[in-house]
Amino acid sequence: MKRSTVFWWLERLALVLVCIIALFPIVWMFMTAFKSGRDAYDLSLFFKPTFDNFLTVFRPPWNLGSMLWNSIVVATLTVVIAVPAAALAAYAFSRFHFHAKKSMFFAVIATQFIPATVIVLPFFLMFRNLGLLDTRTALVVVNLAIVTPFVIWMIKGFIDAIPVDSEEAAMMDGASRLRVIRDIVLPMAAPGILTSAIFCFILTWNEFLFALILTRREALTLPVGLVSFRTERGDLWELMSAAGVMITVPIFIMAILIQKHFTRGMTAGAIK
Amino acid sequence: MRDRYLKYSLLLPAFVIVMATTFYPLAYSFVTSLREWKLARHRTPQGFVGLQNYAQAFSDETFLEALATTAIFVVASVVLTVVLSVLLALLLRRTGRLHTFTRIIIILPFAMSPALIGVSYRFMFNPEFGVLAKGIGALVPALDGVAWLATPTLAMTVLVLTDVWHWTPYMTFLCLGGLASIPRSTEEAAQIDGASSLRVFFDILLPQMRNVVLVVAVLKTIFALKMFDQVVTLTGGGPGRSTETLAYFVFNIGFKWYDMGYASALAYILTGIMMIVSIWYVRLLLADRKMATA
Repeated sequence: MKRSTVFWWLERLALVLVCIIALFPIVWMFMTAFKSGRDAYDLSLFFKPTFDNFLTVFRPPWNLGSMLWNSIVVATLTVVIAVPAAALAAYAFSRFHFHAKKSMFFAVIATQFIPATVIVLPFFLMFRNLGLLDTRTALVVVNLAIVTPFVIWMIKGFIDAIPVDSEEAAMMDGASRLRVIRDIVLPMAAPGILTSAIFCFILTWNEFLFALILTRREALTLPVGLVSFRTERGDLWELMSAAGVMITVPIFIMAILIQKHFTRGMTAGAIK
Repeated sequence: MRDRYLKYSLLLPAFVIVMATTFYPLAYSFVTSLREWKLARHRTPQGFVGLQNYAQAFSDETFLEALATTAIFVVASVVLTVVLSVLLALLLRRTGRLHTFTRIIIILPFAMSPALIGVSYRFMFNPEFGVLAKGIGALVPALDGVAWLATPTLAMTVLVLTDVWHWTPYMTFLCLGGLASIPRSTEEAAQIDGASSLRVFFDILLPQMRNVVLVVAVLKTIFALKMFDQVVTLTGGGPGRSTETLAYFVFNIGFKWYDMGYASALAYILTGIMMIVSIWYVRLLLADRKMATA
């Protein structure tokens, strides 16, 4: 009896420790974002919270507003293009047999293992010739490369889990394949597709390497914007933290909203 | 009947996107890797030089150093992540309010932008006002006042830490998925027979988790090989070149020195390493499926 109580407490302790380790860097960043410049270099837990950093980062020379807008536009466009295309392909991979299906799906998975530099180098040269460097279009195109195969893989996992029976029954009754997809598969796969869309949004939103290479001034996104807070005066931590809060808050809200599907979605692809 | 056309039209949009955005660049990079092309000097690619760019890599000491640095980073980060995520999955397997809460909380490190993770660890390990640098200094006097990111081994340690912090949650969820598919009956029978928890873990759970642990290890290896963002925002490859991994090295050759031919060849070498790992991964999964259906 005694022994199991000890274990009960040890387990609780371990869980609390895990939460602290996971949360601490995030909490510290949020606190710093509300500290004045002087307090940021101080380790005190008590300080006079200020909202100034959030106002400063939106003013010149930082102009976080335009980066925020770029991030929103690039991530949204990428999702809007990648997810419908991927959902259709995922359905085909899940339900049909066709020539070279196995090698095609293998190719889709294999793209996940290509280092981003291989992809971005030709695009850098191409966009340079087309005058598309430092545009949001360039970022969307390159992000599609990373996101599309991943979303195909993920949505296929969700569609695989839907039983085919109801589809077959509807087709026996004379419904066309397109109607079956629209009226039966889409509603059932909707949570999975939404999860994949949010996943895709997060990947694009956090993307750093492409934006670092393909943008200079006009199309900068938030993660690359972080680097601009390194000045000759040193790193401006309180402003960096404020920008960090802007990057994380939308993503955290999305992640928590779909957390039930999220954990299932992120494991479906790799296990199945 | 009409399905025959339909299935190809369903595939078409995604096919076009993937072809245009991955297979075309892949081919273009390969051709570039066979040519001489220093962008600072020439606007257009110069003549073909065969495998010279590849040969250059293996006589380039900085490349070999980056290769060694990458190996150290990959091994450390994979071993730590795998061990921690298996343990964490065992801890989180039970139901309970605190368990559910923890499961939600650990999504946050995974959802956080890696570039931002690098920045915030840089802040926390600042020797003058970094909260972790001060905290560790207070606990371990030997490390008090140490310039973490200016000391090669410690900078590497922090770099590994950021990566483990970021990836352990995802890998834990993979392990939880694996654990969920293991029937509880054997474990319970062993417990009734009086087997200790440690024995149950090593003799019953771990062998059955073999496949999922392998998947986690290989996936993590690939992510670690690709890791780039934190090198830029945390260490900038330094001090010296001590945290310059392959991905960062290729980036420098391509976008600092603008040597397109050499950078393409290097990127292909990195792809080669990853392809070997990924083919192994897919075969492993196929073997896994065969076992499941048998």
